[in-house]
Amino acid sequence: MQRRSTTGWRWAIPALALVVPFLLWPLAAMFWRGVVPDGSLSSSVVVDVLGDRFYWGRLAFTTGQALASTVLALAIGIPAAYVFALIRFPGRALAKALVTAPFVMPTLVVALAFSQLLGPRGWLNDLLASFGLARVDALGTIWVILLAHAFYNVSIVIRLVSGVWANLDAQTEEAARLLGAGRWATFRHVTLPALSPAIASAAALVFTFAFTSFGVVLVLGAGGRFMGGPLDTLEVSIYRLATRLVELPAASILALVQLGTTLAALTLYSSLQRRAAVTQALRTDRAKPFAATSMAERGLMIAVAATLGLLVLAPIAALIHGAFTIGGDGALTGANFTRLFEETGRVSYIEPLNAVRWSLTFAVGATLIAVIVGTAAATAIARSTGRLTPLLDGALMLPLAVPAVVLGFGYLTTFNRGWYDLRGSAWLVLAAHALIAYPFVLRAVLAVLRGIDPRVPEAARMLGASPWRVWRLVELPIASRALLAGAVFALAISLGEFGATLLLRRQEFATMPIAIFEALGRPGEANLGRALAMSVVLLVVTTSSFLAIERLRYRDVSPF
Amino acid sequence: MRAKSILVAFVATALLLAACSRDDDGACPDESPTGDTLIVLTHDSFDATDEVIAAFEQQHGVTVTFLQGGDANQVVNRAILSAGNPEADVLFGVDNLSYQRADDADVFCSFTASRRGEIPGDIRDQFGDTKTVTPTDFGYVNLNLDRAAGLPAPTSFEELTDESWRGKLVVEDPATSSPGLQFLASTVAHFGDGDWQDFWRDLRANDVMVTDGWSDAYYTHFSHWGGDRPLVVSYTTSPAAEFFFADPPVDEPPTSNVIPGPLFRQVEAAGVLRGAEHPGLARAFIDHMLSNAFQSQIPSTMFVYPVIPDVETPDWWQWANVDVEAAEIDVDQDEIDGWIREWTEIMRR
Repeated sequence: MQRRSTTGWRWAIPALALVVPFLLWPLAAMFWRGVVPDGSLSSSVVVDVLGDRFYWGRLAFTTGQALASTVLALAIGIPAAYVFALIRFPGRALAKALVTAPFVMPTLVVALAFSQLLGPRGWLNDLLASFGLARVDALGTIWVILLAHAFYNVSIVIRLVSGVWANLDAQTEEAARLLGAGRWATFRHVTLPALSPAIASAAALVFTFAFTSFGVVLVLGAGGRFMGGPLDTLEVSIYRLATRLVELPAASILALVQLGTTLAALTLYSSLQRRAAVTQALRTDRAKPFAATSMAERGLMIAVAATLGLLVLAPIAALIHGAFTIGGDGALTGANFTRLFEETGRVSYIEPLNAVRWSLTFAVGATLIAVIVGTAAATAIARSTGRLTPLLDGALMLPLAVPAVVLGFGYLTTFNRGWYDLRGSAWLVLAAHALIAYPFVLRAVLAVLRGIDPRVPEAARMLGASPWRVWRLVELPIASRALLAGAVFALAISLGEFGATLLLRRQEFATMPIAIFEALGRPGEANLGRALAMSVVLLVVTTSSFLAIERLRYRDVSPF
Repeated sequence: MRAKSILVAFVATALLLAACSRDDDGACPDESPTGDTLIVLTHDSFDATDEVIAAFEQQHGVTVTFLQGGDANQVVNRAILSAGNPEADVLFGVDNLSYQRADDADVFCSFTASRRGEIPGDIRDQFGDTKTVTPTDFGYVNLNLDRAAGLPAPTSFEELTDESWRGKLVVEDPATSSPGLQFLASTVAHFGDGDWQDFWRDLRANDVMVTDGWSDAYYTHFSHWGGDRPLVVSYTTSPAAEFFFADPPVDEPPTSNVIPGPLFRQVEAAGVLRGAEHPGLARAFIDHMLSNAFQSQIPSTMFVYPVIPDVETPDWWQWANVDVEAAEIDVDQDEIDGWIREWTEIMRR
């Protein structure tokens, strides 16, 4: 036991090598500037902010909507995970890739899509009107925020949970059934406990995302109110304050509150999860062909397809529809795509293929770093038994809880001198992407490592294998499938990253989301058209890279 | 513990360095324009033709790189956070609302552009009587009306609180958006302190929609695009831009300018950053920004008005020619911060 604990921490070194210079240092510098602006701590700001009931209201709202979003994502995601894990239906890989695509879509574009669907002049209201029903104005309500969070995050649940479900040992379930347990009892007492590490991992990620939600709330919640306050998360409040330098002290204090709350929630989750983890024998993929499914399973498939169709595919369809109709006078047109490639002869022109190339470069680089760092960090946490392990686990998730604007400004104010003057360098963009990407790999891999029966690596050790060999030959192969799921999200988070990239980019290495933002910042049909066309390009590139990663799984890593 | 003391040492050094370099009278070093690259820090809305930039590059044998990071406000923040140790040579995009903040942080060194004298005096005066920055263009934020809505244009700010405009207006948040802040400034100038607050309370009661930024207001909530509100806070040049970017071409813009009263005039300026690596080139670039070639391409690239009077502008720029009275308003930084705090109290709590 003692040996496990000490070897464990060594595996955290890659993560610390990334987190210390690229998270803690810039963060400390920003807080220092904010909280101690004139060399002395101004306690009045602390009192003002912490004594303001408005901000306590924001904290309550932030927590409440994050919990609700998590429950919603789980409710939709778990049944969908069953379908994706256990039924080999035609188009499964494509469907899975499409469901994950929202992850990269810029909020401004998603807002346009949601408005096309649910807005006052949207498809839903057209439909209601044709039935003679009253119009609904869904934009700016808590409901559209919860829907958007589910839209963005349901794929986390689907991928992490189906990854484990597909490899659960069917014999245990069969044994339970033979012993007389009903279908539901088997699920509750056998399947669910075995899935719990994956479900908990997914829930922690969704919660963190919804808790620190920014763009969705800012854009889709515009003008809305809920329980006597605006629909502002803490992150939105931080952004509103930080964007004006004079309010940096207040912004810093709120950011500390947000980081502290996230850290506490994740540490609590980590210690609960360690206790609840059930070890199991994992087997090869047990998905059955579509033809072998029962009536109940087909019913479930239809329900899942309908839900995901409405939740995920409809907004994507609205977006694609817009890209092919804006500027077409009501008819379909490819003009917006032609326009993307037309040299405007201006400084602002971003060559679309160059944006694709840089997006992919950052994404591949960030994913590789995230895979190494995340896997090592997961191993560290899985192997350590110390009391501080849950805290380490929580702390390693913090990159997801740091506001992008704080990260961006932090980099600009720390990497600014001598040999580490990296301002305007693409390396900073890569570092930021890798930093926020690795927690996905960490969560995905940890969910599996925790489920491994400790007797297996123990046996290998007793037979004389070094810790490194145990990891390479025993733990890594078992975790490989989860590793790929984590890699998909690492790729996605990099492809979609916007806030930090905006502050760190140069025109030469502008990414696809930057190109979309640039076009949306100018008035006129041609600009809106270019933004939507670029969004479709982003969608296609993203979906294809997900499919490419999925293929990698079958070629290079043998299923176990 | 160790990490903390390193941090303390680092911050102390940074402060010391910043303090040491504040010495002379603030004039930019008068060196010849030489160097390989010139870096221009600017906001996301910046644009220029490749041609006019290439002309400068050829003349001086230099490559011009643009660092476009964030909106005008964020870019000024960047310059303040790196005052004395800038990441660029030139800052373009500081305006008369953010200038004082930048000047207090001693971001710029001063120099006199060769055509400075040709800029109208009331525009130059927007930056005090200092020569630290050079005005390059100006613009107005007003209301744009979707002509398809068939509504009569409101003629005053007061009218916006009438029942007939209930739920029809979308504005941007002044805390996060530059046009939002400019519109707020116009209302402060019009109503005066003590009354502008009531106006905004009435607007809120009249179901005004507030968005975070311009893109969201214009493309998601304005009825000409995705939304159902026919009146949006935008620029006096947006109808001209709609005309310019229409495809297929149109005979006149689908939106029209509404001038509810005197408007705050935003003047944008460029300055040489104190501690710039290539101050000579930076000065030459700012001179270039006042050249006829640069000034006359400003309408079609940035959709704002050139500061040098009577430069040649394209025909369609007629749609941007509006009769606007510039609001008389003294912009003091503390006051601006005060407006935003009060506005936030009124509109969001």
